[in-house]
Amino acid sequence: MKESLKIQERAYKKGQVDPFTRENIAQGLIAAAEEMFYTWGRTSQSTIIYEVLDYSCGLTDAKGNLIGQANGVTGFMGAITFSVASVLEKFGPENLKPGDIILTNDPYTGSGTHLCDVSAVLPIFYKGELVAFAANKGHWNEIGGKNLGSWSTNATEIYQEGLQFPVIKVYDEGKLNEAVRDMIAANCRTPDMTLGDLYAQTASLRIAEKRVLELFDRYGRDAVLESIDWILENGRKLALKELAKMPKGTFEADSYIDAQANNVENVYIKAKVTITDDSFIIDLTESGDQVPAPINCTKYGAYSAGRIIYHALVNPDAEPNEGFYSPVKVITREGSVFNAVRPAPVSTNWEATSHITDLVAKALAPAIPERITAGHFLSIIGTILAGIDDKTKQPFVLCEPQAGGWGAGYNKDGESGLVAIADGETFVIPAEVAEYKYPIIVEQFAFNLNTGAGKFRGGCGLIRDYRLLNSNAELTTIVSRHQFPPWGFAGGKDGSPNIVEVHPADGSEPVVGATFSNYPMRKGDLVRFISGCGGGYGDPLERPVEKVLRDVKDEIITAEEAERDYGVIIDKETLTVDEEKTKKLRVERSRRG
Amino acid sequence: MSYRIAVDIGGTFTDIVCLEEETGALIEEKAHTTPENFADGVINAVAKTGVDLSETAYFVHGTTVVINAVTERKGAKTALVTTKGFRDALEIGRANRPDLYNYFYKKPEPFVPRYLRFEVDERLNYKGEVLKELSEEDVVEVAKKIKKENVDAVAVCLLHSYANPRHEQMVGEILARELPGVEITISSDLIKEWREYERSSTTVLNAYVKPAAARYLDRLKMRLGEMNLYIEPHAMLSNGGTATFARAKEVPINLIESGPVGGVIGAAALGKIIGEDNIITFDIGGTTAKTSLINKGEVKITTDYKLEWTPKFAGYPVKMPIVDIIEIGAGGGSIAWIDEVGVLKVGPQSAGAVPGPACYGLGGTNPTLTDANLIAGRIDPDSFLGGEFKIKRELAEKAMEPIARHFGISIEEAALGVIKIANNNMLNALKLISVRRGYDPRDFVMVAMGGNGAVHGPFLASELKVGKLIVPNMPATFSAWGMLMTDLRQDFVQTQIMPVDGCDLKRVNEIYREMEEEALAIYQKQGISPEDVIFVKTADLRYIGQEHTVRTPVGSGEVREEDLSEIRKAFDRLHHQHYTFSLEHAPAEFVNFNLTAFGTVKKPEIKKMPPAGALEAAVKGERIIDFDEQGRLKSRVYDRTKLGPGHVIEGPAAVEESKSVTIVYPGQTLEVDEYGNLIIHTGV
Repeated sequence: MKESLKIQERAYKKGQVDPFTRENIAQGLIAAAEEMFYTWGRTSQSTIIYEVLDYSCGLTDAKGNLIGQANGVTGFMGAITFSVASVLEKFGPENLKPGDIILTNDPYTGSGTHLCDVSAVLPIFYKGELVAFAANKGHWNEIGGKNLGSWSTNATEIYQEGLQFPVIKVYDEGKLNEAVRDMIAANCRTPDMTLGDLYAQTASLRIAEKRVLELFDRYGRDAVLESIDWILENGRKLALKELAKMPKGTFEADSYIDAQANNVENVYIKAKVTITDDSFIIDLTESGDQVPAPINCTKYGAYSAGRIIYHALVNPDAEPNEGFYSPVKVITREGSVFNAVRPAPVSTNWEATSHITDLVAKALAPAIPERITAGHFLSIIGTILAGIDDKTKQPFVLCEPQAGGWGAGYNKDGESGLVAIADGETFVIPAEVAEYKYPIIVEQFAFNLNTGAGKFRGGCGLIRDYRLLNSNAELTTIVSRHQFPPWGFAGGKDGSPNIVEVHPADGSEPVVGATFSNYPMRKGDLVRFISGCGGGYGDPLERPVEKVLRDVKDEIITAEEAERDYGVIIDKETLTVDEEKTKKLRVERSRRG
Repeated sequence: MSYRIAVDIGGTFTDIVCLEEETGALIEEKAHTTPENFADGVINAVAKTGVDLSETAYFVHGTTVVINAVTERKGAKTALVTTKGFRDALEIGRANRPDLYNYFYKKPEPFVPRYLRFEVDERLNYKGEVLKELSEEDVVEVAKKIKKENVDAVAVCLLHSYANPRHEQMVGEILARELPGVEITISSDLIKEWREYERSSTTVLNAYVKPAAARYLDRLKMRLGEMNLYIEPHAMLSNGGTATFARAKEVPINLIESGPVGGVIGAAALGKIIGEDNIITFDIGGTTAKTSLINKGEVKITTDYKLEWTPKFAGYPVKMPIVDIIEIGAGGGSIAWIDEVGVLKVGPQSAGAVPGPACYGLGGTNPTLTDANLIAGRIDPDSFLGGEFKIKRELAEKAMEPIARHFGISIEEAALGVIKIANNNMLNALKLISVRRGYDPRDFVMVAMGGNGAVHGPFLASELKVGKLIVPNMPATFSAWGMLMTDLRQDFVQTQIMPVDGCDLKRVNEIYREMEEEALAIYQKQGISPEDVIFVKTADLRYIGQEHTVRTPVGSGEVREEDLSEIRKAFDRLHHQHYTFSLEHAPAEFVNFNLTAFGTVKKPEIKKMPPAGALEAAVKGERIIDFDEQGRLKSRVYDRTKLGPGHVIEGPAAVEESKSVTIVYPGQTLEVDEYGNLIIHTGV
C-alpha cells in the first residue's frame, strides 16, 4: 500500500510540541495578523486607511491577551487589548457566538482613542470552543458629529464628536444587523464610504479567522494554545532581560500641552517614571485637570501611550504582545487630562497621548541617551481642509497629518521630515495627487531650517503651503509645541515650534496660531504648515568642523549661523573654514561656558 | 553550427549556458564572478566553453552592474533639477516611519545631496496646463551652477510632467547644450506616472547608474567583439524582457534586477513547452530564496519596487516594471542562531561563499542550512557538487552542537529544527506570493531551481498543497537557460485619470497609439521589424475613492464603446480575486494606461530526450535520509544523468546530479517526462 503523506494530519498533544514547531505556529499567528492588516489596507476606499495606514490589526487569546499585532501607526498600541477586554466584559465569553462581530469606538470603555477610530472584534471558535479573538481598529473618515470628518478642535462634549458604538454586535452569528447599518448610514455624511470601511474592516477579520483555524487544523488545538502561551512567556522574558540593563530609580519631566484649543490655557503635565527589575511605572497623576477642549485622552489612551514609549525604550524590535508589555503600568488621576471622564471631548486625544510618550522620553533621556533621541515636533498636526468643490459641487475633505523634524541622538543628527511618534507607516500625500483630488496648489514642500544646534543637530521640520483654488473652504488644524519647542539635551539646543499661518490672498498680515477651528478660507488664500525642527544633542562647539561646513554648503545653516551657533568661521564665497580663527573662537566660547 | 548564449552573473559564480541550435545540446560552465571588473568573469566563462563567438546567433547577458553601483554607492555624482518649491522633496520622500518604535530610525539618504538639488521657476497643473512658463535664462543659470560642481549626471523631474512633458524636455535640451558630456535623464522619458517623489527617485537612480552602466556595457561589447562576437548583444531587463546593449544604456535602471528574472522567464517558457501555465517558481541559492508567480502564462510584474526596502526601512522607489519576485534571506548558506530569548532563527545572515557553510571546511564555524541538510542525510557529502568539492559531516555536526546543547536535544534533532525553521520561512514567502495575492496554490505547479530548490521544494510543495513539482534540467543554472527564452520587451505607462463610464475613447486610443509609436521607434533602432512586435494593452483601474489600482487587461486593437463593459467586468472580477470583494455598482476610473510591447525573436526549439534504459541502471546506492515527521528512512539514490523519459520513482528517494539534489518524500512519486524534467506528484 502506498504510504500517504501524513504531514497535514498530524495533531500534536499537549507537551509534545517541539520548540521549532512552536516557533512556526507563532510565526503563523503573527502572519495571520499581518495578512489581516494587508487585506484591509488593500480593500479600503478611505485614504486615511490606505495612505495614512491609520489602523492596526491583532490577535488575542481567549482571555484577551495580545498575541500579535500589525500596526500602521503606533497610536493603536493598546487598542486591540482593551477593545477585546471591553467585549469580554460586556458580553462574557458565554454570549459570544461564531460569526459575531462586535463594534466599539467608545473611548471610555476600551476602544481608547476617539470616536473616529472604530474597533471590530471577532471571536474565533475551534470545534465550538472560544480559542482566540481577531480584532482591528481604524480611523473611519466620517462618523457623523458636528463636523465633516467628525473630529474637531473645538468640541466641548463627546456628543458633538460623532456616533457612538457602545460595544455592539454588528454581525450576529454572521448576519449583518441591518438596524445598525442603517443607523450608521443615517448618521454619517458619507454613508457609502463609511459602510465601505465597515465591510473592508470586517472582511479582514474573517481572513484572520480563516488563517488561525488553518493553524488549529494543521497542528491541533493543544499545540496552538501551547504556542500562544509560549509567545507571551518569551515576550515577558525579553522585557525583563532589557529592564535588567536599564538604570533603576524614578525619573521626572514636565511640560505643557500648548495647543490653545477653545482658548484653554496651557495644560501642565508631568510624568514620574519608575523603573525596577520587573516593572516600568508611569505615574501621570500630577498632571492638570481635563479641559473643555478635545485634547484630553481617556485612561485607555494613556495606557496605549505608555506602551508606545515603553516599547521604544525597552526594545524597538520586540514583537508586540501581552508578555512584552506586562511590566508597564500607567497610573492616572480620574478627571485629569490623561484620564478624562465622560462627557469630556477627546477627538484630538493624540495631543495628550503624544505628550505622554514625550514626557517619559524626556524624563529618561539623560539617564539612557543610548535609547532615546532629543525631542521631536511631536504634534501630528492633524489637518482638515474641507469644502464644496466649485466645479463638481461635491464635498472634498483633505484630511492628513504633517511630518516634521526629529531629535538628534548620541550618535546621529535628527531626521528631516518624518511623521511623528503617534504616526508610523504614514505617507504624506504627493503634491501631484493632492492637486488632482482637491482644489489646491501645493506651492512649496520644503525644509524648515531652524534646527536645534548640537554636536549632533536636530532634523529639519517642513514647510507645506496650500493655496486654495476654490471659492471657499474651512480649515481645521491643531498643533501643540507651539510655544514650547522640542527639547535638546546633553548640551544640545532646543528645536523650533510648530506654527500654522494663513496668508490672505490680498497680501495682508498672516493669521498665526496653533489651533484653527472651521476657519474660513477664500480663493487665493494660502495656509502654511510649519512643523518644528528637532532638538540637538551635545555641545554644538563639539560638532566636527566638516559637518558644519557641509551644512553651510547644503544651505541648512548660513555662514553666520555657523559662527553664532557652532563657533565655526566659514568664508561664504569660497566655502572654506578658517581653521585658526575657528579653533580660537571655540576655545574662547567653551571657556566662557 | 550556431549558438545561443546566456551569461548570468551571480554573487559567487558567473554562469554561462550555450545552446547548440541544431542539436539542442547544452553546454553549461561557471567562472568566478569578478567584482572588480565583472567583464573579466564574463569573458572567462565564455572562454571556458570553448565556443566560437563568431557563430553566435543570440547573446544575452544578465548583469549585476547596476545593482552593484547602487548598493556600493559607486554611481555618478548626480544633480537634480526640480520645480520651484520642491528642492527638498527628494529628501523628504513620503516621510513614513516604518520602524515604528525606533527613535534612531534613519531615512533613506538621498542619492543627490541638497547642494546638488536645484529649482527652476515653472509650474504645470495636474492637467498639464502651464501655470508658469519656463524661462530659458533660469535654466541656463541652473546649468552654470551645476557646471561648477562637475557632476557626471543630471536628473530632471518637474511637477506634473506625466501630464505634459514639454517643460522637462526643454530643460533637458538646454542642459544637454550647456553641459556637454554630462548624462541627462528626464523623468518623462522613463515614466509618465504621477507621484513626484517616486518619479524623482526613479529618475535620480537612472541618472546615478547611467555612466557606470554605459562604461560596462561598452567595454564588455568591445571585448566580446575581440572574441569575434559580430551580433549586437542583449541585456536582460528586470521586466523579464531583453534589450540591445545600446538601448539598455539609455535606461539602465531597467537592469536593476537583471539577474534574478531569468529563472522566472525560464519557468514560463518551460511551462509553455510542457503545457503548464500556472506556475510558482522557487529558486534557492546560497544566500536567498526567491519566489515568483506566473498566472495563465503571464509573468507577474510589479511597479511598486523599492530598492533596499525592508519592513523597517522605507527604501528607494523604482517605478519601473519589474518581475514580481519575493526574496528572503534563506539559502544554503543561511546561518542558524539563537535569539535573545532562546528561539532558533535561520538567516538572513549568510556564510556566503567564503567561508561558506561549516561543512565546506573553509573556516566557517556557524551552522548553516546546508550543514543541517548534510546531517539529515539530504545532501550526500561524497557527491556534493558532483564530488568535485569534498564536504565534511563532522564539521557540520560540530557547528550544530551549540544548538543541540541549547535545546537539550541531539545534533540530528537540532539539524531537523534548523530545516523546519528555514522551511517555514520559505513557506511564508511562498504564501506571500500566492495566497496573499489571492491565488490558490492548488491551481499551480511549482518549478524548483537553484542549487537547493529541489532539496526543499518537494516538502514545501506538499505543505502549500501544490500537486506537482517540476525540477528542470540543470536546475542550478536554470536562470541562465531562462534568458535564452526571452523576447525583447518595453513597457509604457501613461497616467490619465478618467471615469470608465463616459470616458473619452478618442483620448484613450490616442494614448495607446502614442505609446505604440514610441515602442515601434525604439524597436526600429534595435532592428526589430513592426510585424514582429506584439502589443499587450492593460489599464490600471480602481473604484473612485480608492488609491490602489488593479491592472486589468484591455483587448487588442482599438478600444470601442462596447469594450468598456468588458473591461469593467474584468476589473470587478480581478478586484474580487485580489481583495475578496467587488463593488459592481460603484463608479470606477482609469488611472494609468499601460502598454507592453514585445519584440519577438526566434527561440530555440527544445528537443525531446530519447527513451531511457532500465531504471536499475540509474541506481547509485542507498542511504538513510531523515524525513523528520515521517522518520529516518532508507532511501534509494539515483543518478540523474542516467534517468530518462518514462522512469518512475517512489519516495523516499534522492536524485543526484552535479550541482543539485532532488529529495522525494514518502508518498510522493517522481516521473521523468519526455524532456528529462523531473515531475514530482506530491499526492496532496
